[in-house]
Amino acid sequence: MAFSNTKITLLNKEIKALVSDFYEHDYILNEALATSVFLLKNLEKPLLLEGDPGVGKTMLASTLAAHLGTDLIRLQCYEGLDVGTTIYEWNYQKQLLHIKLFEQDRDKKALGEEIFGMDYVLKRPLLRSISAEKPVVLLIDEIDRADEEFEAYLLELLSDFQISIPELGTIRATTKPLVILTSNRTRELSDALRRRCLYHWVDFPTKAKEIDIIARKLPHIDEQLATQVVTFIHNLRKSSLHKPPGIAESLDWAKTLLLMNETHITDEVVQNTIGCVLKHKDDIEFVRNKTVQEFLVSVN
Amino acid sequence: MVAVDKSFKERLIDFTFYCRERQFMLGPQDTREAFEIAERGYCLDRKLFHYSLKAIYCKRKEHFDRFDEMFDRFWSRFYEEKLEARKKQIKQLKKEPEADTIIFLGAKFNKPRKEQKEKEAKQTKGANELVRLRFTDFSKVNVADKERLEELAEELFHQMSMRFKRRLKSSNKGSIDIRRTIRHGVSKGGLMLDLAHKKKRKEKRKVVFILDVSGSMDTYSYYLLRYVMVLRTYFKSLEFFTFSTELTHVTPLLRANNEEQILKQVGRSVHSWSSGTKIGESLTAFLDAYGSKFLSQKHVVVILSDGLETGNVTQLKEAVGTIRRKCKTLIWLNPLKGMKDYQPIQKGMVNVMPHLDAFESAHNLDSLLKLEKLLMDV
Repeated sequence: MAFSNTKITLLNKEIKALVSDFYEHDYILNEALATSVFLLKNLEKPLLLEGDPGVGKTMLASTLAAHLGTDLIRLQCYEGLDVGTTIYEWNYQKQLLHIKLFEQDRDKKALGEEIFGMDYVLKRPLLRSISAEKPVVLLIDEIDRADEEFEAYLLELLSDFQISIPELGTIRATTKPLVILTSNRTRELSDALRRRCLYHWVDFPTKAKEIDIIARKLPHIDEQLATQVVTFIHNLRKSSLHKPPGIAESLDWAKTLLLMNETHITDEVVQNTIGCVLKHKDDIEFVRNKTVQEFLVSVN
Repeated sequence: MVAVDKSFKERLIDFTFYCRERQFMLGPQDTREAFEIAERGYCLDRKLFHYSLKAIYCKRKEHFDRFDEMFDRFWSRFYEEKLEARKKQIKQLKKEPEADTIIFLGAKFNKPRKEQKEKEAKQTKGANELVRLRFTDFSKVNVADKERLEELAEELFHQMSMRFKRRLKSSNKGSIDIRRTIRHGVSKGGLMLDLAHKKKRKEKRKVVFILDVSGSMDTYSYYLLRYVMVLRTYFKSLEFFTFSTELTHVTPLLRANNEEQILKQVGRSVHSWSSGTKIGESLTAFLDAYGSKFLSQKHVVVILSDGLETGNVTQLKEAVGTIRRKCKTLIWLNPLKGMKDYQPIQKGMVNVMPHLDAFESAHNLDSLLKLEKLLMDV
């Protein structure tokens, strides 16, 4: 059992090191999420992060890249995303130029073969991520915005880390990227995609953790003001709003209050600055019709 | 790598089955990964093992929310056994190991007793159990089955939502459906003689759901509400009302993404939940307040009620007639229709039957799922 105990200590140390290193990069990881990131690194399996907008899913990928000292390749998804934008495209101008230059003194077959080589491929984010010299972090952001067809394209990459190009064959990853997918759950993702990923639901942080985040990002903020901001935001999240505020909104608001030299939140401050927190007309009206004290009731 | 004992692997497989029974989508690959993390030594620390399995076994939020409790329930017994065995081991340090003990991660454990194994086997339920639950009337579900029915409903509604998302459907015209054409060709020795076609689905309809939440509908309201929640994103617009003695517009509450939160909010905001039924009065209130906004020849209206009217029947007849005139299709779902020998002979139902385009039951999961076709084709 002596060996086992050493092993446990080593593993726990690695996870604790991950938490503290992320903390150095201003990202506060909890143990469960740290374990998921640890598995992402060790099992080489993509990690699917789901959660409400503004809980720090995208930020996790950029922090991971900074932690590993590697590049972050980001693919922002949208409806209508296709192979040409995400995987590869032929560099037609270069191909035409090559044909023009060598059409006289080369045999046609060799010329044809030449122009369909890797030199004539424009690498898009997915292909770039698997052909990088050292492992990169690949962020496929808001996958729920892309079409189901694009999800199908991804399956080969996510399970085997390879991409098939009809003219070139299968391109295997020279180094396996660390893949993070994020989704806001605006639509259900396919089971096939989910099966290929580790999963973590990123929830809004606890009150203490959010105060810690604000204090970390804004070192000059008064503790009382930070606590008030977080209490207000947490109470807002409990109300039925169109768009509950995320961590980014908490930070924006705290930053605004700091710039305005406010020391505590009053009705007037809320009237003037609530636009930093809420982005929907009905939500703003809802808050303006209430008093600030209603949102400063302490929550757990 | 840590040598993982055979009995631990068996336990891990048992846990995989335990999760699968609770609608977790786990394949052999997931089990293999669980073995891998165990062999890497993650199983030696309970918390690390817990979080690692959680990341591998959960595939969606609903799984994520339930996993902690399931892990604790399954593995606590294991850790208690482990502690118990260690105590015994200390006592019997100098004695020969008993024949019925096994070694696990360097510690000795008693093998599970035969009677216990038999008991567990009896509790394991297969496909028949799921089929039975699918056809069980919501009002007759006992406490023991309730949790399983919940899980089954969640899974089946999820599958239904996936079908609703499909943009193409099979048809006699339209572009060629390669997959089905090849499949047809299999029976003809690979010759693709029959071409299958697919075309775009019709434009999504606007739907208005009006749900009866009176005392007589109590047991059905909950599942019908969940059913409507699944559908809410797949129509061009979906408006949702509840009524018993008064009408409540609950669409604004459906905006939240969290299903649990929606149920709680609807429960809080509907004041007439589980009270009497005044269908005619409520439908008239709907026509007066929302008729001009939510009724047109593009709207499909679905009323979910048992039709046991306690108010004015003439008012009900007139209200249903008006709704029918103003909308494209009127569907009435009545959970009582699922009862054997049921006839719509109550005053309320007799008066509304001539105005209905479809009259269907909605008393169990299967009948709710059959509605899918009806709603897709309107």
